[in-house]
Amino acid sequence: MLFPTVEYALFFLVVLAVAWSLYRFPTAHKSFLLLASYIFYGFWNWAYIPLLFGISLFSGLVAQRIQRSQTISARKCWLAAGVTVCLATLGYYKYTGFLLTTLLQVWGRFAPPPHIQVYSPLLPLGISFFIFHAISLLCDCYRGKVREPVNLGDALLYVAFFPQLIAGPILRASRFLPQLAIRRNPNSIRVNRAFLLIVGGLFKKVVISNMLATRLVEPVFAVPQSFGAWDTLLAVYGYAAQIYCDFSGYTDIAIGCALLLGYRFPRNFNAPYTATDPQDFWRRWHISLSSWLRDYLYFPLGGSRKGKLRTYINLMVTMLLGGLWHGAAWTFVAWGGLHGFYLVVHRLWSRIGWRPLVRWRATTAWRWASRILLFHAVCAGWVFFRASSFATAYTVFGRLTVPGTATLATGPVLIVLFLGLAGQYMPPRWRNGFEIELGRWPALARGAVLAVAIATIEILGPTGVAPFIYFQF
Amino acid sequence: MALVIVGFLVVIVLLESDGLASWANHLEIGPLRTVAVPVTAAVQKTLHPLGVAAIRDRALEALARVGWTDDAALLAKAANPPHTCDLPGASGCAPSAASNISNPAFTTGSGANTPDHSAHNPFLNAPGARTPLLGDVPRTTVLAPMPPVEPGKPRVVVLTGDSMMAVGLSAELMREAAGDKNLRIVKAFRSGTGLARPEVFNWMDEYPAMLGEVKPDVVIVAIGANDGQGFVVDGKVLPYGSEEWRKVYQERIAEFLAMVEEGGPRVVWVGLPPMRGHIYDEKITDLNRITYTVVSQSPQATWWNPVPYVGDDAGKYREYVTLDGGQTIKIRSSDGIHLSDEGAGLLTSVLLKWLDPPAPTANGAVAAPAAAPAVQARPAVKHKKHASRKAKG
Repeated sequence: MLFPTVEYALFFLVVLAVAWSLYRFPTAHKSFLLLASYIFYGFWNWAYIPLLFGISLFSGLVAQRIQRSQTISARKCWLAAGVTVCLATLGYYKYTGFLLTTLLQVWGRFAPPPHIQVYSPLLPLGISFFIFHAISLLCDCYRGKVREPVNLGDALLYVAFFPQLIAGPILRASRFLPQLAIRRNPNSIRVNRAFLLIVGGLFKKVVISNMLATRLVEPVFAVPQSFGAWDTLLAVYGYAAQIYCDFSGYTDIAIGCALLLGYRFPRNFNAPYTATDPQDFWRRWHISLSSWLRDYLYFPLGGSRKGKLRTYINLMVTMLLGGLWHGAAWTFVAWGGLHGFYLVVHRLWSRIGWRPLVRWRATTAWRWASRILLFHAVCAGWVFFRASSFATAYTVFGRLTVPGTATLATGPVLIVLFLGLAGQYMPPRWRNGFEIELGRWPALARGAVLAVAIATIEILGPTGVAPFIYFQF
Repeated sequence: MALVIVGFLVVIVLLESDGLASWANHLEIGPLRTVAVPVTAAVQKTLHPLGVAAIRDRALEALARVGWTDDAALLAKAANPPHTCDLPGASGCAPSAASNISNPAFTTGSGANTPDHSAHNPFLNAPGARTPLLGDVPRTTVLAPMPPVEPGKPRVVVLTGDSMMAVGLSAELMREAAGDKNLRIVKAFRSGTGLARPEVFNWMDEYPAMLGEVKPDVVIVAIGANDGQGFVVDGKVLPYGSEEWRKVYQERIAEFLAMVEEGGPRVVWVGLPPMRGHIYDEKITDLNRITYTVVSQSPQATWWNPVPYVGDDAGKYREYVTLDGGQTIKIRSSDGIHLSDEGAGLLTSVLLKWLDPPAPTANGAVAAPAAAPAVQARPAVKHKKHASRKAKG
């Protein structure tokens, strides 16, 4: 069930009504949300509900064992067992085909490969996200960040809660479980903020992302050979805007829906293309994933505590694995590696303490120059991320040097491209101001405005709803 | 919050009654559709006098005129606004099959939107529309050789279909043909469509609009992966696979084929490849039989079986192919339905040789047609740079 569909709207309205009618009965309220989450997931494929349930139950049970263990070694053993099972599940579903293909290709270089007929398993929707939730539950219990004993029902809901189930944001058990322990208060909901998030998310996804995808990005990345430099450059910029609007649009809707149900999700994007350096970018892009990788991978590897060289290695390992998490293909690994390289280069550059350089770095001109430079470096990474193969990626880069006219630069495409990129420079006070202003209107009028906004988005969006990019991860 | 939602619901129903009715009609046959169609139709009928739907239509047309949409049929409609009627049966309206189909929202009850083919469709008597179903499809098919392309007159090749064309096949064909001055590739495909349910996406409207002024020499069709579903005709639900369903579907295939054959292009109908899911694969086998039955009646068209290239020895689904050079490639995408780019490359290498055969040699002889491999049990495979490699299965 995709967010921008009538099916989801009907589903959500029913869930909202029933959930709030049950808010005085926490167990019934949470049980209903759990049931709704499984129905939401079952809309895609009922066959994978046992997997979702199994992983949630398993992580909940292991989390309980970790909390109850008296010794550190026992806690470590339970943690290792839990994380191993989670990663093995993810590995089986997501990487079997990739590993097999790679193995057979390497084998073929030395000897005739065996004629085997094997099928890589179908990838369950959102598996990367719910496995990371399960791991977060285990790690937070191990670290003592979850103070109250884990309730199995809460653990099931934490992993499967439908607004974040398919594509995040990735919640921390230590921050979400306490929300399940308190009774909802309908008067504390920031309804206007939630509606603004939902409408903004729908606009980003349905209008900007879908139009850029169909009118600019897909044609060029399908057959880059047919396009010259201007079209190719626009398509690369277009993909930067598309993936941002697609993913941040999804998480805005998710955050808004959760807010209406009385739950707070962490912010997942903070104007990432306004970042001035790679570290800053990763503090603004897919924040819930980058902080997850930092806390559960980079820090356990030693972070920056074990010397410069080890820091660089840790950065590279973290980003390479982060790339692989996004997709089972070498192009994703290359994307992660490129960002690891950017982070290392930035660290080296930051260490240069030559005074004139330090003063120059503090100027506005330098901040803008570095912003533009970083944006293009990020765009170069997106080429690998979007391309179906290295050959396609190299062709895209190659076409940037081939003269040609901008055949795809129509007015509507340029408008949505501008909105997708420049919208990140919109001052946050505008949205806050609008939220406050909206709060002064009568409730019925606010509902009417919301309806007009959604009807307008429906008219402006291309026909059909493309799946969210991050669903595949 | 409750009042906000009430305000929202009232206004959204008012503004989107057409859209909701359209949504209901697009649903797959099932309990949700059974409930949603009459409810949304009643709401739409009640609210229609307010004229909001007409404003919405005009807004869509205005957006189309400024190039906001890439929907070919809508663009064509905006460029040449037809004389339309607000309600079926209104005086002065000349009904057409196309307008009935593209306005599914104007249905009342179950499936009244189904077009009356017999009254308006010029392709009704297309060959194959009523031919008894043939048996199993042939594993190998011969593509009759094409004459070499005349210098300076590129062969116009239209690619049409659903995601079976859009994913893998079209991109691979266009990439491989990008440097070939003898071929001009035209895109006329749309994912998420099919021929079973014209009320959802009407190819009889959309294909001519997508084509515009293009006069194809060859049309390559890959369509049908979404067609294994029931539909409604004259208010009656025809479950997938029933005799009546087959009859109507066969007619729709024949009509579509007759349309793409207009102007005399050669048509290659690429059969659906074997699928990973057992039940789905059985449906696909069945759909292939129907399309083969229709297509084989036309002297202009060839039903081309992809199984020798992407199936295993038994004609079933396989995921990997090992080329002669030892390289193993994954030929299917992770959904077990579509071809991967590399899998599509196994087909396009053959199709491209057929589309642009070598010119006659100096002594006037024509080299052996590139399409000949189509009849091989183990086909010659030119995959990207590995022109000499062959699939081993």
